[in-house]
Amino acid sequence: MAFIGLEAEKYDRIYQDRDLFRRIIGYFKNYKKKIIAITLLLTISSLIHAILPILITIAINSLEISTNIENFIIIILIMLSFNFLGFLINYFQQIKTSEAIGNVILDIRKDANNSVLNHDLSFFDQNPSGKIVSRINTDSQDFGRTMELLMEVISSCFVVVVFTIIMFFLNIFLSFIFMIIIPSFFIVAILFMKAARRRTILGQRAIASVNAFVKETYSGIQIAKTFSQEEKLFKEFEQVNNQSYKVNLKRAFLFNIIFPSLGIIQAFVLVLLIYFGGIDILKGTISIGNLNLFIQGTWLLTFPLFTIAAFWPQLQAGLASAERIFALIDTNPKVIQTDNIKPTKLKGKIEFKNLTFEYEEDKKVFENFSLTINPGESIAIVGHTGAGKSSLANLLARFYEFQAGDILIDDISIRQFDLSKYRKKIGIIPQTPFLWADTIENNIKYCCKNAEKEDITNALNQTGGAEWIEDLPNGLETYIRERGSLLSMGQRQLTVFSRVLLENPSILILDEATASIDPFTETRIQEALEKIMKGRTSIIIAHRLWTIRHVDRIIVLDHGKIVEEGNHQALISKGGIYANLYNTYFRHQSLDYIEKVRDL
Amino acid sequence: MAKLDKNFKKDYLVEFSIDGAHSFHIKNKKPSRWILAHILHGSNKIYISIVLVTTIIAAMLSSALMIVVGEAINSFILENDTSLLFYVILILSLGISAPLMRIGNFMLREILAQRLERDARKEFYINLLGKSQSFHDQQKIGDLMARTTNDVRMLNYLVSPALSLIIESFTSLIIPLIFILMFYPSQLVLVPSIFIFTFLIALRSYIKKIGPVTEKMRANFGEMNIILNESISGISLIKSTVQEAQEKHKYLMKIKAYRDAFVEQGRIQAKYIPILLLALMNTISLTHSIILFSHGSITVGQIIGYLGLLSQFRFPIFISFFVFSIIKLAGAGAKRLLEIMNKKTEIDENLEGKSKDITGNIKFENVSFCYPKSKNKILQNISFEIRSGETLALVGTTGSGKTTLTKLITRLYDVTNGKILIDGLDVRNYALKSLRSQVSYIEQDVFLFSNHIIDNISFGKKSSFEEVIKVAKLAQAHEFISSLPNGYQSEIGERGIQLSGGERQRIALARAFLVDPRILILDDSTSAIDSKTEDEIQKAINNIQKNRTTIIITHRLSQIRWADLIIVLKRGKIIAQGTHEYLIENSPEYRKIFIKKFDLDEEKLKTRGRI
Repeated sequence: MAFIGLEAEKYDRIYQDRDLFRRIIGYFKNYKKKIIAITLLLTISSLIHAILPILITIAINSLEISTNIENFIIIILIMLSFNFLGFLINYFQQIKTSEAIGNVILDIRKDANNSVLNHDLSFFDQNPSGKIVSRINTDSQDFGRTMELLMEVISSCFVVVVFTIIMFFLNIFLSFIFMIIIPSFFIVAILFMKAARRRTILGQRAIASVNAFVKETYSGIQIAKTFSQEEKLFKEFEQVNNQSYKVNLKRAFLFNIIFPSLGIIQAFVLVLLIYFGGIDILKGTISIGNLNLFIQGTWLLTFPLFTIAAFWPQLQAGLASAERIFALIDTNPKVIQTDNIKPTKLKGKIEFKNLTFEYEEDKKVFENFSLTINPGESIAIVGHTGAGKSSLANLLARFYEFQAGDILIDDISIRQFDLSKYRKKIGIIPQTPFLWADTIENNIKYCCKNAEKEDITNALNQTGGAEWIEDLPNGLETYIRERGSLLSMGQRQLTVFSRVLLENPSILILDEATASIDPFTETRIQEALEKIMKGRTSIIIAHRLWTIRHVDRIIVLDHGKIVEEGNHQALISKGGIYANLYNTYFRHQSLDYIEKVRDL
Repeated sequence: MAKLDKNFKKDYLVEFSIDGAHSFHIKNKKPSRWILAHILHGSNKIYISIVLVTTIIAAMLSSALMIVVGEAINSFILENDTSLLFYVILILSLGISAPLMRIGNFMLREILAQRLERDARKEFYINLLGKSQSFHDQQKIGDLMARTTNDVRMLNYLVSPALSLIIESFTSLIIPLIFILMFYPSQLVLVPSIFIFTFLIALRSYIKKIGPVTEKMRANFGEMNIILNESISGISLIKSTVQEAQEKHKYLMKIKAYRDAFVEQGRIQAKYIPILLLALMNTISLTHSIILFSHGSITVGQIIGYLGLLSQFRFPIFISFFVFSIIKLAGAGAKRLLEIMNKKTEIDENLEGKSKDITGNIKFENVSFCYPKSKNKILQNISFEIRSGETLALVGTTGSGKTTLTKLITRLYDVTNGKILIDGLDVRNYALKSLRSQVSYIEQDVFLFSNHIIDNISFGKKSSFEEVIKVAKLAQAHEFISSLPNGYQSEIGERGIQLSGGERQRIALARAFLVDPRILILDDSTSAIDSKTEDEIQKAINNIQKNRTTIIITHRLSQIRWADLIIVLKRGKIIAQGTHEYLIENSPEYRKIFIKKFDLDEEKLKTRGRI
């Protein structure tokens, strides 16, 4: 059950229960016919459930009057037909229920996923992917389970109510005695839930620490073996494992008390019924069949009553799940387009005009930032961490919304473009390239499904050649695992380069890798970069010495401001901020450094 | 270190075991037998007998209660008012003692269940500690984790609730029958017996149908998670290539499949025949008892008692269908655990192997290698030689065989053809322990324990604080460690401090300085963003190379350039080897790196290369 992770998160609005129910009902409304059918079927099946014991009562009562078999035949036949009817109705009700709930979960998941995929990146910065996934998949599942449970509770309520009415009809005093069972069940159930919750959390923590320890052992096994320290690990393992045993045993003990406790309550009520019912029988004020109904009631109603008693906390958990999903669906994306100009081709002129931008309130990344980039120009952006390099790229890609000023592409405000048509004209290569768990081929043609094999080889040839792909077990068909983990970082970049070439964007944004890449692949990347920059506006967040030497212009950023610009030679000889930056970030990539490394 | 456990035969030679720790798995043993061995181990046997006895007694008490209720009603009909108090006391004591008996019973079965989890995990853990490194290299941590957590936990659920509920169900089916035979006309046993028989058949077919659907739902749910996770990880790619619609569709297909499985499950559950059987049995046995009543063979009280006994069948009917899925899962879990535990670890210890101090000359003679059960040659005809104290740099793209080559030296794998000589002696002629203790390996992603920095450095050798500082200084780690708030006592890991790749590497280097191996294999893939950090890494690596043979897999041109021998690997073959100067002149591939990276022309490079 959803005990852990209930802590409120940032975008959670507090929904009124009323609003929540309205939303939930809204989803079920689409299946109105099914819901009506289910309600009807549930009512009938509960009535049958309650009527069967009454038929038995009638049968037993009539035993006192006559022993003639024929008198019973009708009752028996009715019972038999009710047996079949009850099963049949239950059958249809269950099918309709699972159809309705299955479809509602489907709709909720669809809505949540659509809403998530429409968000801009600021949403994903605030919400770790694990949480989003668990909201969409797990919370909806929990919610569905609560709905199934709700059906059970409703039918249990029907049974209890019908049964209670009949009991009061038969004997008011015994009914009151019987009623003792209801509050006692609720008290036990609620007390139990509270304690269980605490113990469960403790139990989960204990097992989590075992898991963490074991995971660490498996990750560090090589070190342990190299230094022969297995025994040390084992001793620590023994400790956490035993601790988990103790804590979880306590939890289990508690869980096992609940049903016997209910049994004890049952026994007391039974004894009271026998005592007072017995007196009534002796006095002749109650028939045997009627007393039997009360006695049977103590067994028959145990389960429905427990279901009802235990439902409240489960309903709360289910509502919390629903709230989390609705909150996800209801968050509005921040990036908005004001017009829908569909660019066919961009020249690639970029102008930042008095731009102001912040990720979080009052933490301005840019204030009055201005920069013009000419069509076809290649720009390297350098600067310390936090200077605003990636923010420039993020804004150009429309991943985030800026607060003031404007960005003009070919002299048109970036906000006026149709978002998806505009993005198709922008090629983005992030620092850690993302690849799908698919073949290399499908990864390259991710943006252009209809690309021919020829186009792909073409793109590959332009980016340093397809030779490295031939080294892979199945060439282009090689399945490269999650995030492309079969490939080295450099190979992943080459793949992404090919993808971008196939997309043929007007503007290229490249966040250069800082990861180390083997020299052979790096040579290829350099060749690929030369080709890919040609003929398009390129903005490169540079980490490589080679790159800053090969661009048209270097922009030195510091705290959201341009402090120097020019080409490598000119800036170096100027001996200013760039020269300093060079010494901090690029010096060790020079040939000079390699030659002198021995003298460090 | 390798102690030989009494329980193991020779082919179960392991690298580590605990004296006195029980190990139940025997080669090719069935999961069920293994679980049984665990359940019946030691004092568990006593607990089990108590559980069995109390389950039966509790069921008997419940059944007796029904009969007494019937008798009480009988005596009321006979207007025997003196018996009222007697029956009240009897019913109260029976009614309370059954649940009390169950509490004790449940506690004991929980002890058994939790013990099984604890002991199975312990056995599995010890077994894995004892496996060789080559075994661990082939395992995915996620997979081992799933086994240690979920599969082991399933064993717990197997005992409680699954097996104990089955026992309980079984007794609440059988005991009422026995009571019917004991107290009522024996023909009354007929209807319930037929019921039990048909119930078992219906249950069997139900389980067969529901199993695959539940499995399908689980699989679908897993795929839903994978797809969603992936599309969120790749969200900026999706957005920049405008593929939202496609991703939405991909997910939609999966959740539709899940919905279909969910509905299918609902259909099967709706068709759970035992519910109908139970209802029919109630009606028919009522009829049967009324017939007997009309013949005068039983009383009204007995009819009530009889119906009460039959009401106990409700329990097995409503719990059996989820119990069996647990049993199935637990069986599969045990199988997965045994699968790992029974895997033979591939150490081929040479019992006559020599233990001797090495100086560190390494020679590869025509070495080829393919992984066991694979024909694909990872390394082909590798020959080279480095002398004690020299540095070898391995260069090549991912998958060219660099890492595999280094693993052959400490016999994490054995060569397929050719041989590797250390100080002129084949590595297979060394005692494994002697060989490995003199060769250290610093892997690509340096692993550090979630522990204090000082413990991590001195992991392999207990040392004084002074010694630790000394090696940390040599590894250029002292400065950044001292700048941490808690210095050497800082805790590393999720709850402690996060270290960068370069910092982790330097801690690993400090660890290696402390152990001072003759041969060091350094898989170096770190990258320094700034030049100052690079200076420190360079100094640390320079220091560790002094006075020992070093094999370095690196992307650092500065380390490659100064190595005594550079080997360029491509698809498992050496395409060039020699010093930097030699390769600049003779290897076009190697030369191209420098030309491209530094915009040199060939003539200039050749003269520079000779500096």
